[in-house]
Amino acid sequence: MKAALIRVAAVAGKEFKHLLRDPRALATVLMLPVLQLLLFAYAISFDVKNVPTVVLDQDNTPASRQYLQTYRSSEFFDVLGSADDLSQVDQLFDQNTVRIAVIVPSGFARSLASGEKAQVAVLTDGSEPTSAQLGQAYATALNAGYGQRVVTEWADRQGFDLSQAGAIEPRLRTWYNPEGKSSNFLIPGLMVVIIMIVTVQQTAVTLVREREQGTGEQMTVSPLRRGELMVGKLLPWTLLAFADMLVIALVGIWVFDLPLRGSIGFLAASSVVFVFAALGLGLIISAVAPSLETANIVGLLIAFLPAFLLSGFAFPLESIPTPLQWLSYAFPGRYMVDISRGVFLKGAGFAELWPQLAALAGYALVVLVASSLLYRRRSA
Amino acid sequence: MSSDAIAVQVHGLSRSFGANQAVAGVDLTITPGMIFGLLGPDGAGKSTLIKLLATVLTPDNGDGLIFGKSIKHAPGQIIPRIGYMSQNFSMYPELSVAENLNFFATIRGVGRTERRRRAAQLMSAMGLREFADRRARYLSGGMKQKLMLAATLMHKPDLLLLDEPTTGVDPVSRREFWRILAGLHRDGKTVLVATPYMDEAERCAHLAFLSSGRISYQGSPADIKVLVPGTLFELTTPEPRAVLAAIAGTPGVRSAHLYGDVVRVLWSGDGSAAEQLKSQLLATGLPVTAIRPTRVDMEAAFAFLTESERSVEVGQP
Repeated sequence: MKAALIRVAAVAGKEFKHLLRDPRALATVLMLPVLQLLLFAYAISFDVKNVPTVVLDQDNTPASRQYLQTYRSSEFFDVLGSADDLSQVDQLFDQNTVRIAVIVPSGFARSLASGEKAQVAVLTDGSEPTSAQLGQAYATALNAGYGQRVVTEWADRQGFDLSQAGAIEPRLRTWYNPEGKSSNFLIPGLMVVIIMIVTVQQTAVTLVREREQGTGEQMTVSPLRRGELMVGKLLPWTLLAFADMLVIALVGIWVFDLPLRGSIGFLAASSVVFVFAALGLGLIISAVAPSLETANIVGLLIAFLPAFLLSGFAFPLESIPTPLQWLSYAFPGRYMVDISRGVFLKGAGFAELWPQLAALAGYALVVLVASSLLYRRRSA
Repeated sequence: MSSDAIAVQVHGLSRSFGANQAVAGVDLTITPGMIFGLLGPDGAGKSTLIKLLATVLTPDNGDGLIFGKSIKHAPGQIIPRIGYMSQNFSMYPELSVAENLNFFATIRGVGRTERRRRAAQLMSAMGLREFADRRARYLSGGMKQKLMLAATLMHKPDLLLLDEPTTGVDPVSRREFWRILAGLHRDGKTVLVATPYMDEAERCAHLAFLSSGRISYQGSPADIKVLVPGTLFELTTPEPRAVLAAIAGTPGVRSAHLYGDVVRVLWSGDGSAAEQLKSQLLATGLPVTAIRPTRVDMEAAFAFLTESERSVEVGQP
C-alpha cells in the first residue's frame, strides 16, 4: 500500500512539473476559465435591456407625447428618436438601427378623452425573437399600466372606487431568482461547463502523449499499476480544476452578485467528485485515441457539445428531444449543474441533492475503471 | 531447476500484428553474463522479440523464461530484474536528466537514498553529471541514449534488453556507450542488444541473425563469418554502379554489393580464382582499377546472409 502511494505520488509530482513547465497549458488552465466566465456571462445574457426603439407620433397631442414619454423613461426601451413617417420606420428596421417602433396614430388623444380604447401600434423586429417577444411583453405591460392610469383617472372622475371594484392584479413571482437575472441562472451552470472544457481537454491528450513518447512503455516495465497511473494523473488536475471552480464561484459572487445560499462544504465535495468524473472522461478518450490530434478533437467535441447542450446550463433539459435527454445522463455535466444551481440559488444541500452526488460518484468510478481497462487493451 | 543458471530461454515464441507475423517461432538461449547480439535487417522482428522478452508485448504462441520465470504468466516477477531500453527516446523531454532518473527509479520502487546514490553514480560514470539539470529535450543524441541507459540501470537489473541503443549516435558516443556496456558485462550483467551496426556485432560474444521473424543463424562472430563461402573481393572502379549491375548474377558471383565507393563481390572458389573474376570483368568492358581480396567481416557476412535468406532458403550448414 505504501509502495503504491509512493508510485501515485511520483506520477502526480511528474504531472505537476509538466504543467508548470508548459506555460501555455498553465495559462489555459488558470486564465481561460475566468475569461470564459466573463465572456459567457456578459455575452450569453437573456436579460433584454436598452432595446433600440423609434417612436412615431402621428397624433402630436400632449396626451400622445405623455404616452411616449413612458417609453423614454423605461430602462427596457432606448428611444433613439422620432420618425417622420412610416417609410422611415421601415428603413430604420432594414438598417438594423432599431428593433422596436412605437406608433401613435392620430386620434389617440380623442379616443382617450372619450373613454374609448386607444389604438397604439408596436412593431417588433421578429428576426431577433428574444428582443421581439420581450419587447411585446414589456410594451403590453406598459400599455396596461398606462391604460390603468387612464382608467383610474376616468374612474375617479366618475366617482368610482377602484379598490372596491375588485380589479384583479396578476401577481407573477419568480422563485429563487426574484430579480430574474440571467447571470444568476447561468453562472452556476457555466462553472460546470467551463470545468468540463478545461479538464476533459487536458486529460484527453495525457495518455496518448505517454504512448507517443514511449514513456508509457517504460511504465509497463515497472511495478506501476494502471489504476495508480490514472489516479496519479488525475490528482494534480483535480486540484487545479478545483481551484478554477473556486475562482469562478468567487468571480460570480463578487462581480455578478451571485447568491450562495447553500452549503459550501457540500458544493466543494461535489465539485471534487465532478472533476474526477470529467477527468476520467478525458482519460477514456486518451486511452482509445490513436493520435494526439484525434484525442484533441474528440476531447473538444465531448467537452463542448454535451457540456453546452446536454448539461441544462442554458437550455432546459426538459425541452430537448427525448433521446437527447437520455444521452444527457451519459455526461457528468447535468448532475453537477443541478447540484451547483441547487446550492447557489436554492440553498440546497446533501439532503436534497444526494442522488446527483451519488450519480457523479458512480460515474467517476466507472470512467476510471473503464479508462484503465481500455488503456491496457491498447498497450498489449 | 536453478532459476539463474540460464538468463533467457525462449521456446517457439511467436507474435503477429494482423497478417504480419513479426516473430515466428523463435528459440533462444542466453547464458548469464553474456553480451548477446541480435542482428537482422529492418522489419526482421528484432524490436518485437525484445518487447516480448521485456513483457511489454504478450506472445501469441510459445513462451520465454527469464531467470526461470515465464514472460506470459509471471511478468510481475520478471520486471524487477530486467531493464528495457526501447529503440526510440522514451524519457520525458520536459524533465531534467536527474528528474527522469528519479521518476523512473521511484515507480520501480527504488528507495529515496538509494535513488540519490545511484543517480549520482550513474551520471558521473556516463559523463552526465554536468547535465543533471538540463531538460532531456535539449540533450544531444548520444546524451539521450546514455540517459536512457542510466534510467534502465537505476534499479540494478540483472538482464538488460537494449533495442538498437546506439542508432543515430555519433561514432565517438557509440564507442563510449560500448565501453559502458563492457563495464556492465564485467559486473556480471546479461545484455541482449539489437544492433544494425556490424562493428558492434563483433563485440558480442554470441549473435543471432533474425530474418522474417525467425532466427536463421546463431553463433559467435567467428562462427557466423565462417558461414560465408568463397572469397570476398573489393573492386575499385570509377563506375561502381555500372560494374555492380554488370556482374550481379553472372556465374561465380554469389553476391555483389556496394560498399562505399567500392564493389564487394563474393566469389565462389578461393583466392587464386582472382584471375577468373578479372577476365569476367574485362568482358564487361568497364574500367576496374584494382581487385583486392579482403577479409570477410560482419558487414559482408550480414549482406551475404540477408541476401541468401531473401533469394533461396539456404539452410544452416
